[in-house]
Amino acid sequence: MAQQVSLGSLQESEREAILQVLYRDREVQNTEAERIRNLKTRLQHLRWKGAKSVSQEYKEKSCARCQQTLGLLLNRGAVCQGCSHRVCSECRVFLRRTRAWKCTVCFEDRNVKIKTGDWFFEERAKKFPTEGKHETAGAKLLQSYQKLSNKISVVPPTPPPLSESQCGGGPARLQELGQFKGFNKSVENLFLSVTTHMKKLSKSQNDMTSDKQHPEMVPRQREGRPERRSQSDTAINVTTRAGTPDILKPLGPESPRRPTSPVLKQEDISSSPVLNTSFSGGLRQGSLISINSTCTEMGNFDKADVTGEIEFAIRYCLRTHSLEICIRACKNLAFGEERKKKCNPYVKTYLLPDRSSQGKRKTGVQKNTVEPTFQETLKYQVELAQLASQQLQVSVWHLGVLTRRVFLGEVIVPLATWDFEDRESQSFRWYPLRAKAEKSEDSLPTNNGELAVRAKLVLPAGPRELQEAPEGTGDEPSQNGQLCLVVLGAKNLPVRSDGTLNSFVKGCLTLPDQQRLRLKSPVLKKQACPQWKHSFIFKGVTPSQLRQSSLELTIWDQATFGVNDRFLGGARLGLKEDLPGGAHTSSQAKLQWQKVLSSPNLWTDMTLILH
Amino acid sequence: MASATDARYGQKESSDQNFDYMFKILIIGNSSVGKTSFLFRYADDSFTPAFVSTVGIDFKVKTIYRNDKRIKLQIWDTAGQERYRTITTAYYRGAMGFILMYDITNEESFNAVQDWSTQIKTYSWDNAQVLLVGNKCDMEDERVVSSERGRQLADHLGFEFFEASAKDNINVKQTFERLVDVICEKMSESLDTADPAVTGAKQGPQLTDQQAPPHQDCAC
Repeated sequence: MAQQVSLGSLQESEREAILQVLYRDREVQNTEAERIRNLKTRLQHLRWKGAKSVSQEYKEKSCARCQQTLGLLLNRGAVCQGCSHRVCSECRVFLRRTRAWKCTVCFEDRNVKIKTGDWFFEERAKKFPTEGKHETAGAKLLQSYQKLSNKISVVPPTPPPLSESQCGGGPARLQELGQFKGFNKSVENLFLSVTTHMKKLSKSQNDMTSDKQHPEMVPRQREGRPERRSQSDTAINVTTRAGTPDILKPLGPESPRRPTSPVLKQEDISSSPVLNTSFSGGLRQGSLISINSTCTEMGNFDKADVTGEIEFAIRYCLRTHSLEICIRACKNLAFGEERKKKCNPYVKTYLLPDRSSQGKRKTGVQKNTVEPTFQETLKYQVELAQLASQQLQVSVWHLGVLTRRVFLGEVIVPLATWDFEDRESQSFRWYPLRAKAEKSEDSLPTNNGELAVRAKLVLPAGPRELQEAPEGTGDEPSQNGQLCLVVLGAKNLPVRSDGTLNSFVKGCLTLPDQQRLRLKSPVLKKQACPQWKHSFIFKGVTPSQLRQSSLELTIWDQATFGVNDRFLGGARLGLKEDLPGGAHTSSQAKLQWQKVLSSPNLWTDMTLILH
Repeated sequence: MASATDARYGQKESSDQNFDYMFKILIIGNSSVGKTSFLFRYADDSFTPAFVSTVGIDFKVKTIYRNDKRIKLQIWDTAGQERYRTITTAYYRGAMGFILMYDITNEESFNAVQDWSTQIKTYSWDNAQVLLVGNKCDMEDERVVSSERGRQLADHLGFEFFEASAKDNINVKQTFERLVDVICEKMSESLDTADPAVTGAKQGPQLTDQQAPPHQDCAC
């Protein structure tokens, strides 16, 4: 019987069991979230199709849904109770077994409310207005659990059954205990902290009759507490070894009953290749090169020697929410065509990182001069806050015959530190023109926004075996798992001129044998900060394979009318050394990726910088 | 203990999206009244007489066909033990309906029903649908709570009432289906009062229909 098991070990199995349930629940919730998203997308499409909205005026006598002209006598249409639009008889849906009806859109709206469970959330909000809509208790518990495990940078799997009489000794050990105090909280305490606010609501809770069947439960629990605590401590020690090799040393011999095996295991770990890559790789920095500095004209222009200066002023108009660049003049420009002493200069600007044509502004072309005067103002509709992540690129070009262009020089102004309030910075200034920065000198990697993802390596083995994997049995290559990746959302993407995107995510997992597994998310339309919440599941991959693999996530703006999809940015995850000249993994991403691979069946949240 | 749990909950949940909507149901009640057995009978049509105390929370998923709709039920089984109360009450808020269970051979479990009902009122939404279930009605010899008392208490609390047996598979399916129906009714009500379209066949009177027969299939 359950209560016969010593409470110490029950504690561990409890945590294990509850975590397993939480994970299973998460799977269910993820599936559900995807279904709901699909439903809502479909409704949105239907809304768009049905042209009439409340705000617009339409010709009186036509159906709001199909636009069919309504007659004066026949097919006069009727007003929908839901949206007050007049619709034809074709666009009505009769509610079952009643004579009541709704127009197709209202009916679908109602359907979606049923199917998504929104009706429930709306009802519930009456009592708990602050409750997040689809936030489940399980998700909250998991979150707090992961927060805790993040804090101490270890995953809390089941420890092997170490001796329960293990007592800490020695200063190093004590220090360790202090460091990981948070972990000593049992799962129950953790849950308690999550739900304290709920508990406040009810005092009757304690009135509940305690369990008749286990009268000895309560006193035993109390007795068991110190014992359980020491168990948790051992759990930390074991898992800590994987994460922080430095504080390992005093640990092994401390265990009185098992003097040999922990030491052996410890050695196994410190020689594990995983850890080595993780910690040496984590320090790599400074080689951050943009993988996407594909200037639109990159391959398609000539270069002249860069000379001269350009005069312009930058200001931000709060009233119109626009950035204004007043281009006044240039001097001492190089000749676009040196031999012919010809120069037809014009000025072009981008708000980097957006190099799309929507982000391009140009002045008119001045003919036959190296000292042109433009007196033109180029404007960008952009929120002030957004400018912090952007750079203004002002470049001068010569327009030759047959629209052949020659680069005459550029200025890049980082806007993050630009003081738009300051008068001084609003006045005209001369800026020396520079040659295009070589790729390697490009100190600031282009930041095309951030992508939030959540990843988990799912291994079919039971939790106990999982625990043993980093303990020394090594990475069984036979362990066939799957990599689950939830693409949550992205922000600060280089948006279109109208401030939106029809974006989607591509995931490409390149296995060691160069086999590529590709997946794609649905397109989210008209959103600047898309929240796809889409799951990519790469099946049949082993942990050891993944260590040699790289995962590339790229975000695209879906093309309209057959133009190519626009690349918005991408990020790469992988432990392997960077391919020469290829994409790279930032050191932070590398650490996070390492965490995903070394803590199977636990979700890791990551924010990836897009380049 | 863990392995026992694993074995029992080992099957994979259906992750397909082939359903119309999802309801979340919570089973609560004192420890050892038979919540887990009740769920296993319903979801897997299995019964084990051995008692294994539920650790914290657990759930099963079952998709049913009701009123022309495929409804996916996520049924949460909670630990009755007081020590898990903080975990289990966290799940009240997400539940659309409740099965409040007592053991007809256990007076104490029946006496606790009032308290459980208070818990629901405290932690759950205002329209929470609750069915009171007196389990173990196969054990007539050891009965200490008469069905009349059960029914009276249910009336008093405004719940519907069933007596059931997970062991002999009495009224188990009926309980869940009735709960689904009342949730459907609540759903229609909240969407558009006087629109019974979603619940289909079930019209108003069903709610007050005391004929809903706890004893219909019950030999006891």
